[in-house]
Amino acid sequence: MKIFLFVILFLTSFCKFVFAEEQKIIAMGDIEFGEYLSAECAACHHQAGISKGIPAINGMDAEVFVALMLAYRSKEMENPIMQMIAGRLDDEQIGSLALYFSILEPPK
Amino acid sequence: MSKISRRTFTGIVATSVATISMPSISLGALPRVVVIGGGAGGATAARYIAKDSKGGVHVTLVEASKRYYTCFFSNLYLGGFRNYGSIGHNYYGLAVNRGVNVVHEWAVSVDSAAKKVTLGSGNSISYDKLVISPGIDLKYDTINGYSAEAQTHMPHAWKSGTQVQLLRNQVMNMKQGGTFVMVPPPNPYRCPPGPYERVSMIAHQFKKSNPTAKIVVLDPKNKFSKQGLFMEGWQRHYPGMIEWIDADTHGGIKNVNVSKMEFETDLDTFKADAACVVPAQKAGAIAMAAGVNNGDWCPIVPASMQSQADENIYVLGDASVAKSMPKSGFSANSQAKVAANHIRGTLTGSKVFDARYSNTCWSLVATNDGIKVGASYAAGSEAIDVTSKFVSKTGEDSALRKATYEESIGWYEGITTDMFS
Repeated sequence: MKIFLFVILFLTSFCKFVFAEEQKIIAMGDIEFGEYLSAECAACHHQAGISKGIPAINGMDAEVFVALMLAYRSKEMENPIMQMIAGRLDDEQIGSLALYFSILEPPK
Repeated sequence: MSKISRRTFTGIVATSVATISMPSISLGALPRVVVIGGGAGGATAARYIAKDSKGGVHVTLVEASKRYYTCFFSNLYLGGFRNYGSIGHNYYGLAVNRGVNVVHEWAVSVDSAAKKVTLGSGNSISYDKLVISPGIDLKYDTINGYSAEAQTHMPHAWKSGTQVQLLRNQVMNMKQGGTFVMVPPPNPYRCPPGPYERVSMIAHQFKKSNPTAKIVVLDPKNKFSKQGLFMEGWQRHYPGMIEWIDADTHGGIKNVNVSKMEFETDLDTFKADAACVVPAQKAGAIAMAAGVNNGDWCPIVPASMQSQADENIYVLGDASVAKSMPKSGFSANSQAKVAANHIRGTLTGSKVFDARYSNTCWSLVATNDGIKVGASYAAGSEAIDVTSKFVSKTGEDSALRKATYEESIGWYEGITTDMFS
């Protein structure tokens, strides 16, 4: 799973063109909708961006966010909670969340 | 100013614009929300309404305790994994960061026609929308011989606070090789896996400090949440220590003799050296006083968490009838966000999005052996319906169990921040 994450991070950092699908999804997003949806994430992901047992997602690059959520939705990434959460998000909802989290201050 | 985030800046601009464009709105004319109960449901609702309305709604939180000890993770304290202070929280963040008017009193009655809540002091507070999130009360008299007085000898410890500390003390001081009796509650009750995580944590403590102790579980049920996972864990970590006896086998607890510390059942009379007795439960008293209950619990509208009895009252968490959603802190927190969004929309015209609910319950079986069960839900026309669910599997490897435990620690930090910051 870590290798998968590494590949996603590597590709988003250097090869933007690979992520046409992700960019299409981000373009569907709406920040206000994302803020509403993010309340579900906030039950577990610390709002000050502290990573302890559960990774911080504040300030995450929108393309990385979308790629990860798609991987959870298709069950390529493990963790039953995230598979369940991503499993009921459509593309517009994932794009909205990606936009919302990308503008938050990342953890220091 | 250089540290100001984009989001804060947007908030400031939005607030200023609102003030300029609506000069006729004075503070006194702000819509008023009163929230009764400062736990996972109430604190979250107060925080989200205040935060998202950006000063557009006046929010009062009525909570008697100045310090709130979470029920979730109190079992980890019993097992020696947490100190008690670490599960205590105050209302500073809500009052200072969010501008919530925090009133440390009991709410004693609700006049739903006049839309007023009367406090223990005799003062009253008016509301446009009322949120009732009182948690549970215990039905002591459902166990013959048990009572509010008896709870000092046989703590229920099912509302966090002094009772939990008392139980820890009795576990630590139980005589070597003694018998601990656990009586879980009948359905429905707060925190379905809780009694069995409690058994695990007390066993964990005994393994260290009282290795020949025995635990007898006299269950009023014939099955329980995550049963296969717990029983596998008990066998692996505490072989021979825990005896779980189902209702069909013991035939029901006929009487509890508190002074002799005895439990009479059809099967046998069990003598305890220490015990935890968790009776049947019902919605907190203020829900009954407000008349939003139907029997022991409060029916709600699945799309909004409004009471079926009064559209201006919302009932959250353990007190509500959320059907397939378990009575848990996670559920209450999730329901609070749906209610907050609906209340804000009704009072300020903000957009009301479709209800989405979720829940996950983590339990600790032994050191680094965490398990979890969870589901997502949507509002059906009659009830809150399950859309998907998952549960840990027996035989999982130790690395996954450790990661699950660590995830639960992250969740605790996350949800308490989501409630109180």
